[in-house]
Amino acid sequence: MIKFVIKRLASGVVVLFAVSVLTFSLLYAAGGSIARNILGDTATAEQLALKEHELGLDQPLFVRYFIWLSQAIRGDLGHSWFTSEPVATSLATRVPVTMTMVISAMIIIAILATLIGSAAAVKRGWVDKLVQIGAVIGDSVPGFIIGVFLVTILAIQLKLFPATSTIAPGVPASAWVASMALPVIALIINGVTGGAQQIRSAVIKQFEKDYVRTLRSRGIGEGEILFKHVLRSAAPAGLTVLSLQLIGMLGGVVIIEQIFALPGIGPLAVVATSQSDLPVVMGIVMYTVVVVIIVNLIVDLLNGWLNPKVRVS
Amino acid sequence: MKFGPKKVLMAGLLAAGLALSACSGGATSGASGAGGTATTTLTLGTLQDVRSWDPAQAHVGHGLQPYQAVYDSLILRQPDGKLAPMLATEWKYNADQTVLTLKLHDGVTFSDGAAFDADAVKANMDHFKKANGPQMSQLASVKEIKVVDKSTVELGLSAADPALTYFLSQAAGLMGSPKALETDGIKTEPVGSGPYVMDKANSVKDSVNVFNARDGYWNKDLQKFSKITFKVLADVTARTNALVSGQVDATLLDPKNGKQAEGAGMKLETNQVDWQGLLLMDRDGTKNPALKDLRVRQALNYAFDRKTMLDQILLGQGTITSQPFGKESGAWVESLENKYNYDPAKAKSLLKAAGYETGMTLDLPSIPGFEPILAVMKQQLADIGVTLNVGAAVMNTFTADVAAQKFTSMYFSLFQGEPWVAINQMINTNALYNPFKSSTPELKAMIEAVQTGGDKSATNAQKVNEYVVDQAWFVPLYRVNQMYYHNNKVTVTPQIQMAVPAIYNYAPAK
Repeated sequence: MIKFVIKRLASGVVVLFAVSVLTFSLLYAAGGSIARNILGDTATAEQLALKEHELGLDQPLFVRYFIWLSQAIRGDLGHSWFTSEPVATSLATRVPVTMTMVISAMIIIAILATLIGSAAAVKRGWVDKLVQIGAVIGDSVPGFIIGVFLVTILAIQLKLFPATSTIAPGVPASAWVASMALPVIALIINGVTGGAQQIRSAVIKQFEKDYVRTLRSRGIGEGEILFKHVLRSAAPAGLTVLSLQLIGMLGGVVIIEQIFALPGIGPLAVVATSQSDLPVVMGIVMYTVVVVIIVNLIVDLLNGWLNPKVRVS
Repeated sequence: MKFGPKKVLMAGLLAAGLALSACSGGATSGASGAGGTATTTLTLGTLQDVRSWDPAQAHVGHGLQPYQAVYDSLILRQPDGKLAPMLATEWKYNADQTVLTLKLHDGVTFSDGAAFDADAVKANMDHFKKANGPQMSQLASVKEIKVVDKSTVELGLSAADPALTYFLSQAAGLMGSPKALETDGIKTEPVGSGPYVMDKANSVKDSVNVFNARDGYWNKDLQKFSKITFKVLADVTARTNALVSGQVDATLLDPKNGKQAEGAGMKLETNQVDWQGLLLMDRDGTKNPALKDLRVRQALNYAFDRKTMLDQILLGQGTITSQPFGKESGAWVESLENKYNYDPAKAKSLLKAAGYETGMTLDLPSIPGFEPILAVMKQQLADIGVTLNVGAAVMNTFTADVAAQKFTSMYFSLFQGEPWVAINQMINTNALYNPFKSSTPELKAMIEAVQTGGDKSATNAQKVNEYVVDQAWFVPLYRVNQMYYHNNKVTVTPQIQMAVPAIYNYAPAK
């Protein structure tokens, strides 16, 4: 078990390294006049040259990469070229907001999808039809439209929630909950139906297997069959789709965060990318890779714990 | 375990109950003002955060307003454009406009205790000239700053600069504490002599900036609130929602979202800051020979139904025009306003006279936000036999590409500044938006008359305006209304040539 974790972490580091080399080359080799973007329309040629030297843009690519790498290993991801804020600080203040929202949404999606999917698989009939229709609607309506809809009704007309985020230092936890409620609900509505569909299919497939017939013939109740046996076997399919949804959400929350003005990674990524604030963009890419690696590791471990058959392979 | 309809309904109600109980924080609408007491705080929705609180990094419009909360400027520009004393009590040019003498206010201190005096002015201007900020060119004509005594400064200029006193009411005139200017700390925490001081502990970068009123501020008339909060809301939907739900008192919207704000009882204060239209930059025909002919450029001016375009695209929020200079700039000429009306027949006959009866092409880059108008233009140009090719979308190398003459013309939105500023923006040979450096000796003489004209500078600029309109350097379509909305807790006065009002223009409603 420990060996398995260590092997995965080691391969994760290799992936991180490879992505950093690739991303750095793509971003920095493209060049373009970043200096002019920072200095504005009226900069003269000498001012541009001065700025380029200040940012280290006049050095060869691999030199710049090794400088970046040696600093990144020590935790210094550089400074934003526009705001001079350390990249690590920007990430540290924003990642918790995005992660809280994404993880809360994912936990509730996981629970709801399992319940709804199992209900659809077991009951069939009207529950099943409802889930399938819901899946089509939930998948086709984009998350941010659901978000705008929720804001208009629940925040502006009914005044139950704040229209934009009130998250700031020193606010009580209730402000975090109030600010995140609508975005999380929007994410749940968008994601639960897809997950429910997958779990429904996986559970139905399991119910057709011989071992279920055997269990029933031994007199074991439907509830125990479902929760103790079938769901564990259906877990790999469910976990796969949930992990893919979580990773998709990392990018998908950008628009939701803009609409609700949440101080998360989304707006930072949009601004940094459009301004070509490359140190910040590198930082965001690295953070995304780390999250993906950790998510994949946790999913593999969960799979192994839930379903011993997987551990052997 | 059977999941009948009743159990599902119970589960649904339970979930809803949990959700509702979680919103104890709920909608904080602040002081609803329904008691007759005037508000003491101001919350503004802004489009972006400042990049750095160093006053040398201040910009214009949206990028100037936050700095005004914490920094005073040498000269105060009033909402109608007139200049009034602020940190400088009086100013005077010498005979040939090459030395500007400023007398300074006594007894003003920065929030860190440092004194404001002539040395502080010199320190700020020296810093501004070296700091590579976005408005660095505002002090380009100042070649030396002389401290005459504690309250007198002499600015020596390399050439007459009719816009200098205006610039001293903008970024170049912001005064920060000389001690703090040397440190890196000023990038994240401003230190000025202004009416408010930043509450760093309660501010979050790119999210919210909080300022508290400064005790003992020297000019009580300019300090109207006990607290100002800038809420950064990049998305226009978020700004609209924040305004109608009471989270912000005032913010900038657009014509479409404005309707929702109006429905919620918000008031509109509008002014005109930008003009939109075509810049026919390749007037010497270097890359597009057709543009060399005056008749072709004039034909393009007659080709557009400006009124319908304004009504459809901006819901009528603007004024159609044929001239690129702003109405309050002093260079505006009434007779030029509708010089080019919608006349496709005349356009076709001009093209015929120029020899382009069989057609010509015009290439424009695609700029985000302008796709609908480019589509309309394509159709109207096709009606007079001009093929419009909309090129690839512009990248973040845009300004470099313009300077490199990559585009022969483009549809753009340009800020309408003071005449000398506008001339150096799009007409002079060093202007970014004149990359092909079009010029004639008579135009050069007119521009010089503006530069050396002193008080008559703006009137002399009318000749430049007439020239570029007669010569169809541009195809102006309309001046755009800024859609600035606010609730009834505050009164707001728009600021001339500024995309959002100056911070001094807000006051609690009585």
